[in-house]
Amino acid sequence: MEKTGALVAEDQAAAGAVADGAGHSDARPESPRYGPLLLVGAAVVPGTVVILLGRWGDAPAVQAWRTVCLAVTVQALPFLLLGTALSGAINAFVPERVFSRILPRRAVLAVPVAGVAGAVLPGCECASVPVASSLIGRGVAPAAAFAFLLSAPAINPVVLTATAIAFPGNPAMVLARLVASLVTAVVMGWLWLRFGRAEWLRPTARHTGHQHGRSRWNEFRLGFQHDFLHAGGFLVLGAMAAATFNVAVPRSVLDTFAGAPWLSVLFLAGLAVLLAVCSEADAFLAASLTGFPPIARLVFMVVGPMVDLKLIALQAGTFGRAFAVRFSAATVVVAVACSSLIGGVLL
Amino acid sequence: MKRFLQAVLLGLCGLGLLHVSLFTDLCLRYVKEGMRPLLVASGVVLLLLGVASAVLDKQKEEEEGHSGHDHSSLPRVAWLLLLPALSLLFYAPPALGAYTASRQPPKAVAEQSDFDPLPAASPVPMTLSGFTSRVQQDRAQAIKGRSIRMTGFVTLGGPHGSWDLTRIILNCCAADAQSVKVRIYGGPVLPANTWVTVTGAWHAGGKLGTSSAPVALDARTVEKVARPVNGYQDALPLP
Repeated sequence: MEKTGALVAEDQAAAGAVADGAGHSDARPESPRYGPLLLVGAAVVPGTVVILLGRWGDAPAVQAWRTVCLAVTVQALPFLLLGTALSGAINAFVPERVFSRILPRRAVLAVPVAGVAGAVLPGCECASVPVASSLIGRGVAPAAAFAFLLSAPAINPVVLTATAIAFPGNPAMVLARLVASLVTAVVMGWLWLRFGRAEWLRPTARHTGHQHGRSRWNEFRLGFQHDFLHAGGFLVLGAMAAATFNVAVPRSVLDTFAGAPWLSVLFLAGLAVLLAVCSEADAFLAASLTGFPPIARLVFMVVGPMVDLKLIALQAGTFGRAFAVRFSAATVVVAVACSSLIGGVLL
Repeated sequence: MKRFLQAVLLGLCGLGLLHVSLFTDLCLRYVKEGMRPLLVASGVVLLLLGVASAVLDKQKEEEEGHSGHDHSSLPRVAWLLLLPALSLLFYAPPALGAYTASRQPPKAVAEQSDFDPLPAASPVPMTLSGFTSRVQQDRAQAIKGRSIRMTGFVTLGGPHGSWDLTRIILNCCAADAQSVKVRIYGGPVLPANTWVTVTGAWHAGGKLGTSSAPVALDARTVEKVARPVNGYQDALPLP
């Protein structure tokens, strides 16, 4: 508030100076009539806006919103940077034939291979969207790239280790998370093969690969820069949405749903989408939801890394809105079904 | 011109991250200490990217003139990055506090059956979770009649002038904050979000060592303290 106070004082001083100036200029008939008014307006209006914004911005709810929004953004930025750097590198340095050699020729077989390959990308979900996009640009079948997109944030060693730490003495939970995430990713890949339509995907013109006569490093830098700015904007959008839900829905609502098993599964799936917690941390949050049955907590950890508000925003920015809506909705359904089944067997 | 704007945007993002992670401790309001090296690295990368973009692309523009290039257009949504960048630089929001804690149920403490004997010191320094599990799970009732000292911030709103001594705990970032609370009876009521050290004895009620016992303290003294560095942990104050 002190800062705002200082600004007020400055503004008043400025307004006074302008008023003095206006007094002089009135003597001259040729001066524009509205000039002084405009100047006074220019001096007063920004100050008022700053004061009002300051008052509003210091209300506890708005402060909490800003803190959460900034926290989601700051937490995700390094991983987004890693993902966009990888995507830029794939685009500029990796020749197309590498992927056709690694992945099976038939897309039906390529999907599970790509799903398992998700284990090699350490980090959380923000990194996987740009990487999947550049994979498609390099000729990988979209179905395989989507299996990779879904499995990478959930089955990499960092996340599985975090899960093991969060659920000590309960290795079945780690196994169930691994299996349920992998199965969901592969099923989604196959569903895309069967039902997916290319026109839902926005054409990604920028991942054209290395062109002759251009420096690879420069291509890498420009692709990296463009992808980061683009995905970063959508990340901020997603963080804002997540912060709104985080602040608007008090956590105490949770307890009302803890009793009924089926309701609790659906509720935690919805919560995972709305809270947008990073996949490296969601296991700890799931572990603390002690009132809920294990299957519901498994659903929370399977849905969270695959679908949440910031991911939907990122996907809409990268692949187009038509894709993001359909794909996210289908993923939630498949993820809830798979983790309920697998959780029922393993837990 | 557009390329110059890209460079400025990247540079501001980099500076914002470096400002909160390298030059100040502000990032601890949003994420855990372990993220700091990653934030510094990201800040450096973004700043370098911005500088490289400003220097290299300008040269190139002069050499090539205006030829259409895939990457030259700045996506409009990218401007949203200005908000966090400027907020980090000039208008960093405070750490989460009483507002968030008052809207959450207390975090469940881990089940524990073996308790070490309490240290002989009086008052005994304890964490809020430590106190909670002692009250509700320690069958030996070791805290009965002991003087206990705990540190946290004030959350108002209990019945009959009581308030909650609170700590907010992060798992990853401020979006997954959870709070531990101990109800305090007696002593002065300070404004919300004040950090205090409270000394007192267990507020009797129910059967100690079972979940019927209230997690509460009768305060003998309440002293204001500075916010500890490890503010987002339920740990004893660092010496």
